[in-house]
Amino acid sequence: MTEAMTRNEQVRGEEPRIGVFICHCGGNISDVVDVRRVAEEIGKLPNVAISTTHMFMCSDPGQGLIQEKIKECGLNRVIVAACSPSLHELTFRRTLNRAGLNPYLFEHTNIREQVSWVVEDKELATRKTTRLIRAAIGRIRHLVPLEKRHIPIHPAALVIGGGVAGLTAARDLACRGIEVTLIERGDHLGGRMADLGHIFPTEDQANDLLRPLIQEVLATSKIRVYTHAEIEESAGTIGDFHIKICVGANGKPGEVVEAHVGVIILAIGLEEYAPREGEYGMGLYPQVITLLDLARELVKEKPGQEFTLNGRPIRNVAFLHCVGSRQHHGVHRPGPQGKINDYCSRYCCTGILHSACELKKRYPHLNIYEFFEDIRAYGRGHEEYYTKASEEGVRFVRFDPLRPPCVEKDPRGESPLLVRSIDRLTENMEVEVPADLVVLGIGLQARDMSKLIDLYRCSVGADRFLLEVHPKLRPVELAVSGVFLGGSAQGPMDITEATAAAAAAGSKAAAMITQGEVEMDPFIAKVNEDLCTGCRICLSVCPYDAISRDEEKGIAIISEKLCTGCGTCAASCPSNAIQQLGFNDAEVKSEVLALLGVPEQEPVGA
Amino acid sequence: MEQGRTETAKPEVAEGWEPRIVGFLCYWCSYTGADGAGTARIQYAPNVDIIKVMCSGRIDPELVSTAFAHGADGVMVCGCHIGDCHYINGNHKTMARMPLLKRLLADLGIEPERFRHEWVSAAEGQKFAQLVTEMTEQVRKLGPLNWPGIMHSRGVGHGQDLRPWGE
Repeated sequence: MTEAMTRNEQVRGEEPRIGVFICHCGGNISDVVDVRRVAEEIGKLPNVAISTTHMFMCSDPGQGLIQEKIKECGLNRVIVAACSPSLHELTFRRTLNRAGLNPYLFEHTNIREQVSWVVEDKELATRKTTRLIRAAIGRIRHLVPLEKRHIPIHPAALVIGGGVAGLTAARDLACRGIEVTLIERGDHLGGRMADLGHIFPTEDQANDLLRPLIQEVLATSKIRVYTHAEIEESAGTIGDFHIKICVGANGKPGEVVEAHVGVIILAIGLEEYAPREGEYGMGLYPQVITLLDLARELVKEKPGQEFTLNGRPIRNVAFLHCVGSRQHHGVHRPGPQGKINDYCSRYCCTGILHSACELKKRYPHLNIYEFFEDIRAYGRGHEEYYTKASEEGVRFVRFDPLRPPCVEKDPRGESPLLVRSIDRLTENMEVEVPADLVVLGIGLQARDMSKLIDLYRCSVGADRFLLEVHPKLRPVELAVSGVFLGGSAQGPMDITEATAAAAAAGSKAAAMITQGEVEMDPFIAKVNEDLCTGCRICLSVCPYDAISRDEEKGIAIISEKLCTGCGTCAASCPSNAIQQLGFNDAEVKSEVLALLGVPEQEPVGA
Repeated sequence: MEQGRTETAKPEVAEGWEPRIVGFLCYWCSYTGADGAGTARIQYAPNVDIIKVMCSGRIDPELVSTAFAHGADGVMVCGCHIGDCHYINGNHKTMARMPLLKRLLADLGIEPERFRHEWVSAAEGQKFAQLVTEMTEQVRKLGPLNWPGIMHSRGVGHGQDLRPWGE
């Protein structure tokens, strides 16, 4: 640490020695940009100690090259020209750190997303790359070593959503001794799972699993539980959220309770696709129900008795897969938001197979048909249901996604309904199946989360579900720090997956709390007391009320904790007394000048 | 004001001249939107070079004038849509500043078409690409700016001054 500090002090006094590392990105960049020519031209600029290229700068050998050159050439500034900084800026900051250089003496130039992928002309792309790296050199000359900020985390969590995911996350957090506030919008805990009977792939009764979990949550003094509760207001940021929760009862607006928490877990779940009136006979014929309706029916039915619906015995059951999932433009009508659900809902193939097996077990005489596009029984123990259903005599008809089956009244009156389809497994033969019951394997879709999206600035995917930072690297984190994704607000999941996501979110949140603090980028605003005239303009522009005025000294004071580093105050300070670290006037202005090819005039570092 | 313009003869447009446009983009929405255009491989004019800031609220009007004073033929400012700002309402300040700046620039001899202020969300790669191409063609029609020359002919600044209106 002291060694690093000494090195930082040294850098401030040194003439810049800049290393420029240009990535081929395996051809993604170098197929369009003549990276060798760029490296050569950049190498001629003042203060550039080395300018070179590598096939994959983010690879171990690529990073190794940077570390090696930092030592060999005594570099005190590093530019990597590669993909977008959103992908690898952090990677390279760490590379600098490993080489003993302050990670903020780094500049990432985006020459893939913003050059080679958008400019066809090789000459123009090469010139643009040179200009952008030149701009980075202008900027980097002025960079100074910065230290990450450390934000304390208030050791309490808010879990939004009282379904199986929210319960799991809350329980896991409480087990680690963390205070949890759990809020549920509806009237009961357990969510959608509480309606189910046997669940795949373990064949447990859903409520046998839920009941002890709910009891554990209710019995723990660490967890405050509110039903009929919704967030009314939320202020503050990571580590320090102040949340007002409206707790109603029987539809009446109730009292407001407050929660002070450091982290938030979103376990708000999703909703079922609601087939529109007439879709596969829904709403037209009482014999058409959804898969979840069937699950609720099966909870009520006693095995051994005859399977009836509305007093009528049932002999033929048709299941339809992919209702409200994997939709196609031109075939399916868009929903209220003008979007179709073109994704796979993931739970339904196994859900249907499981229900078919359950029906066969209870009522072996039933004829069961499944109309499917593809069978995607992908999970552990799921494929077995397909094998079993096939063995039990369930008949499979594979329809063409562009010509889905149709459900109609039986004109001969022998059976209430007919399901017609072509069958791709028998060379597109027309198939007609009598049905006493048609079960729609409805998909899952994102619910209206606009209020939370607004409050926590969540990213939303094209499928309208919330978007994690990275599906593999940071799968349960939202881009807004301190807010985690615990379950199916992120996409269709079955119970197994939702609880896994919730447990992951719980442990990420717990890790943050246990750590006691998080590291944040240091790009906050600072006041130069000598230049500040105390005019108060900055106080009026700060979105976070992070600036106050020291009446004694007559100057502005910026709270390090509240400042998020937008730089708005710096732009509005008439006496240039406020500078944003990492984006100060000299840094940004030099970047503009160098971009435009104005030679650097003032020596830096002197 | 218009008088000042006519005093300076437009320089001959050199062969192979390309508009030089500086784009100031906020990181969270517009810069990510520009990345999105790349990920979707949407091709657009290479003339707008991007300078990244964390929030469009950071874009000091002086940065814009600095660009014009040093050879930019156009400047684009992009931020999150109103209501979408990563920093709650940093872009409200941008919204207040930029129209004022545009008028000021016009008073200083810069055609309003050389300065454009737009909202581009992280999902609007297509919009960003289209804006860049439009802006490039718009500035191409106007020809090179040579603002230092204009200011010099009016007896203001001396061509290299960072603050052409004198401070």
